[in-house]
Amino acid sequence: MNHFPEVYESLRFLLIDLQKQLQAIYDGIAENDPSLFLKSLERIDYIENAHLSLLNRSYNSSLRQDREYQAQLQGFEHISYSLHHLSSQLEALCFQLEQCKSLKLLQKKRIFAALEDLNKGLLLIEPAVESEELTLSIDICQLQGRIEKSCRQQLDRYQDNLKTGQYSQALMQSSFIVRDILNMADALLKVGEGIISGKLGQFIQIDRYQTLEASLSELDYDLTEQSINIHSMGETKSGCTISGVTSASEAQEEILAIFKQGRKDKLLEEKIGIESWHEKFPGIAPEVYSYQKQGDKAALLFEYLTGKTFDKLLLEDRQALQSGLNRLFATLSEIWQATEKSKPISANFMRQLQKRLKSVYAVHPEFNLKSKGLRIGDAQQASLEQLIKQAAKLEEKFEVANAVYIHGDFNVDNILYDADKDDISFIDLHRSEYLDYTQDLSVLMVSFYRLTNYDPKVRQRIRLTIEAIYDFGADYAEQNNDNDYAKRMALGLARSFISSTRFVLDKEHAKSMLFKGRYLLEQLINLPKKELPNYQLPKELFRD
Amino acid sequence: MAKKPQYFEHESLQDKESVVNYLKALSKGIEKGEILLSDDEDTQILNTSELTQMSIKASKTKKEQSLRIKLSWTNDTDDDDPDNAPLFIKAKKPKKKK
Repeated sequence: MNHFPEVYESLRFLLIDLQKQLQAIYDGIAENDPSLFLKSLERIDYIENAHLSLLNRSYNSSLRQDREYQAQLQGFEHISYSLHHLSSQLEALCFQLEQCKSLKLLQKKRIFAALEDLNKGLLLIEPAVESEELTLSIDICQLQGRIEKSCRQQLDRYQDNLKTGQYSQALMQSSFIVRDILNMADALLKVGEGIISGKLGQFIQIDRYQTLEASLSELDYDLTEQSINIHSMGETKSGCTISGVTSASEAQEEILAIFKQGRKDKLLEEKIGIESWHEKFPGIAPEVYSYQKQGDKAALLFEYLTGKTFDKLLLEDRQALQSGLNRLFATLSEIWQATEKSKPISANFMRQLQKRLKSVYAVHPEFNLKSKGLRIGDAQQASLEQLIKQAAKLEEKFEVANAVYIHGDFNVDNILYDADKDDISFIDLHRSEYLDYTQDLSVLMVSFYRLTNYDPKVRQRIRLTIEAIYDFGADYAEQNNDNDYAKRMALGLARSFISSTRFVLDKEHAKSMLFKGRYLLEQLINLPKKELPNYQLPKELFRD
Repeated sequence: MAKKPQYFEHESLQDKESVVNYLKALSKGIEKGEILLSDDEDTQILNTSELTQMSIKASKTKKEQSLRIKLSWTNDTDDDDPDNAPLFIKAKKPKKKK
């Protein structure tokens, strides 16, 4: 279990001296003997040494050991830092006690109770490190809560007593000491987290651990039995953390589930989104195993879907990309047919674009032509705002006759293709709704275009993929007598080309997207009315 | 296909009428889709595209004023390249299949 005996040895020395430091304070107060505080202060050098020796040994071990045990070393370091901090707090407490005119006036009973709890926590550390299970570590974390609670009660009592005006100086001093002990209890929490992290192989905070534990227990997995590993898989734009949960017992590490934690409103949206897909088109969205909430935070445990996102498929051979696209197109046709509702609807692309202009200008202030626009001789160029206004009027006429259920955030990295099963899955489903299918198609096309891989071969594939998505949509439109497809796509693409520039920092790339978006709007607006029915979207636009 | 880039350069002094003539000649070429450029040694034909990136830069100092117009466009793709074959093939019209 413990792979670092020499590191652990340093920790044990540190603990012995820390307990002596604490005991001397206790005795000093109990026997009204300030000289014992000096004895307490003497331990500090030893603790300092033990802490440094632990860090050195941990560093040396990290050079020799596999990465697999890194978390255990980090756990030890985390414990040592926390204890070292606790020792400094005890030192400060000593100085404060030395200043006390009379120790006799202190409200000793309560102070002793708090110090004893602190000591209990220290005594638990060794057994917790040595134990195969996590229960003792959790006990240490929980002691913090207990100490905090009893200290707070005591502080309230001091407050009340202070109002009587008697023994005010002693009461003040006692309350300072109790407050210090309350702060020291935080060290226990950090120590507990350090031990748990070392055992789980991943740094984890206790509140996160508890939601994970609750989520997994619904799945009949027991975290304390250590049959489970978790590892970080990144963060989302909305600040959620994502971890993979793997089984430690199986020889081959298989990801059992995805654990996502973050703001409750975001995760609830996602959960509702996933469930809506189960109802409308089963098999496309991950299974939700559990949903836990606590205050304004929540955690979602759901099925881990296999497969690759399309930005990865682009880099493989042409056949892989072709198979993925074929399956995607077939799946989309099925979804649209299955969810079709005869309800005329508009994606309101221009309204969407207008809403995002501010954040586009924040990244690219030079895109903002203000209200005047630009003039060269007799020729004029309108500002984006003017173009959007005019295009919005046109858009009113192009409602699609049937709404379908769409993904709503159809970016390349939200679609997974499993080549072995020839299967498509969707993730990040918090914005799904009934809308115009050109919303998903245009967003997907531009999310390909804005990829920042500039390798000519990859750019060629991106162009072909974008064309393929457009042609697939055109084919679907033709079969469904949707005659305004090209016009709505032009508006949708303009919306995505322009609004996505806020994610593109490369000036040339961003400029080419803005130009494409503007061009589409200008072209549509300037088209004579009678030519509108025959509008063709210029395919050259998909080139770089 | 990949040849080294070709250049054409010209500089001269012109009166107002001649400048307008040159610009008209260029405009005509753009409309036609072909601009012919030749000197003693070389002849070049630029094939213009439906979509052109245009940049206009003007500057004015005490001594001089200048106007630069730059038109640029990407070439048509090479349809014979197998890597360039479309990735979407209409299912119901097998004759279009490759």
